[in-house]
Amino acid sequence: MRSLDQLFEHSSRSLARRTSRRSLLATLGGLLTGTAVLPLLPIDRGGRAQAAETKSKTPTAESCEYWKYCAIDGYLCACCGGTSSSCPPGTGASPITWIGTCHNPADGRDYIVSYNDCCGKTSCGSCECNRNEREKPMYRPSRNNDLNWCMANADSNYHCSVSVILGVAEK
Amino acid sequence: MSASPVWTAALASLLVAGSVAAAPPAPLPPEKLTSEPLPPVSPHWVYVYDEAFANELDGRLVLFDGDHYRRLGQIDAGFNPSFNLSPDGSTTAVATTYWSRGAHGKRTDVVELTDNRTLNLPQHEIVLPTKRATTLPTLFGIAYSSDAHFLYVAYVTPAASFGVLDPAHGTVLGEIDTAGCVLVIPHGPNHVSSLCESGRVLTVTLTPEGKESGRTLSEPFFNADTDPAFVQGIRQDHGYAFLTFLGEVHEVDFSGAQPVFAAPWSLVTPAEKGHWRPGASQVGALQRALHRLYVPMHEGGEGTHKDGGSEVWVFDSASHQRLARWPLQAALGSRILTLEVTQDPAPLLFVATVSGDLAVLDGLSGKIRHVTKHFAQTPWMMLTP
Repeated sequence: MRSLDQLFEHSSRSLARRTSRRSLLATLGGLLTGTAVLPLLPIDRGGRAQAAETKSKTPTAESCEYWKYCAIDGYLCACCGGTSSSCPPGTGASPITWIGTCHNPADGRDYIVSYNDCCGKTSCGSCECNRNEREKPMYRPSRNNDLNWCMANADSNYHCSVSVILGVAEK
Repeated sequence: MSASPVWTAALASLLVAGSVAAAPPAPLPPEKLTSEPLPPVSPHWVYVYDEAFANELDGRLVLFDGDHYRRLGQIDAGFNPSFNLSPDGSTTAVATTYWSRGAHGKRTDVVELTDNRTLNLPQHEIVLPTKRATTLPTLFGIAYSSDAHFLYVAYVTPAASFGVLDPAHGTVLGEIDTAGCVLVIPHGPNHVSSLCESGRVLTVTLTPEGKESGRTLSEPFFNADTDPAFVQGIRQDHGYAFLTFLGEVHEVDFSGAQPVFAAPWSLVTPAEKGHWRPGASQVGALQRALHRLYVPMHEGGEGTHKDGGSEVWVFDSASHQRLARWPLQAALGSRILTLEVTQDPAPLLFVATVSGDLAVLDGLSGKIRHVTKHFAQTPWMMLTP
């Protein structure tokens, strides 16, 4: 374990490195590219009790109950002109993300999914969905869905959220 | 044929009576258009944070009078804001984000200071670096030092740090890196703590100029893997209480230079643990003089920690005894999302639901005094002065 001095030294250096957001994102992007299934950072929004009160009976991609959305929080892009894995026209995908594991009942497999925000326009307002399987508070950003992960986009306004399959989770 | 004198007189009487009955009332006087001043401050006021999530550029704080069940006014709050009150309650500080073309364009992060005695448009602002943390509201997105000399604003870019501001002069004094720890928990005139993934508390001490003069890291007080603590702290006399997902209560004394952790206690019995748990956007409120702790609780498993309360459980925070269970979902028709209590001897408990309704309850008996339907779109936090 690192000593406190080492930790604080690291902090100072990391602050010094943060001369621009672009340089930090370049670092994060490199991490993502190198380790596609490692969690990096979450997305946005607030936690409301939506899932508890709006159960859908048909788990399609436009339904909060759809299997890929097990820890999503926001508006479903599938209801906003996109799909469960693509952003609506004219919006941009967040380059940073948080990652979860969801169970697909259709084939019995667990999949690693990336939750990305789509950014640049105001909130879509259709199909709000808040599910929180294994979700953690913001001090663990790689598992948190409260933060606005459009924060690093040039247009950092939040529009909607997607869930993108990265691969089958190894048992 | 001529009418008899009797009939003529009767007809004349009817006409006179009819003309009297049909006479229009006196006209209303001309009105003078004015702006309503706020009435004198009441301990039964509450600031309701409406994030306006369906049209997120339009967050607002609504000032509500719990005695007369009416809106008193509004503070505009922009995109996904943080807010807090100054120590004397006279000023509301809102940290928010605007874009130059409405939903797009050049981003400006800013702190706006509103005089709570007038609710006039902000007369003072402090422009921030575009690093402000945009996330669920807590007491720790923006916060004042105890003497109001400093304002602290949490930054996440996603690297974590915080800004130190001088509200009197409207300036940003600097930025302090927090080594991955998040949010700004103020204590005293010059200490700021942040919550870390390791369950520890990072505490930074500042010079009078707002620069870092030292930092310490506490021992862990929660385990983020097995039982994470909510970051929505509950204000106490000398610090804050943090609830965990499974219902432990960690009371942290921030009255000194370093946080001091009390032995945790539990909201649930061993039989209830893992079945009943706290969960909401605002997970508790404490009436400090009466030691009444109110927590939205629900039955559910892992992943339900934001589902909202089906009941409000009331505890004596001194004895740790549960005093009551109020089944408010059944009464209000929606789960409890947010709650706050006033600090006077006859406290009101404000409860906002997932449906956006706002209920006013007697804080001692739990009796529902009034419900305002559709009060807010997404009432994610409330704060009493």
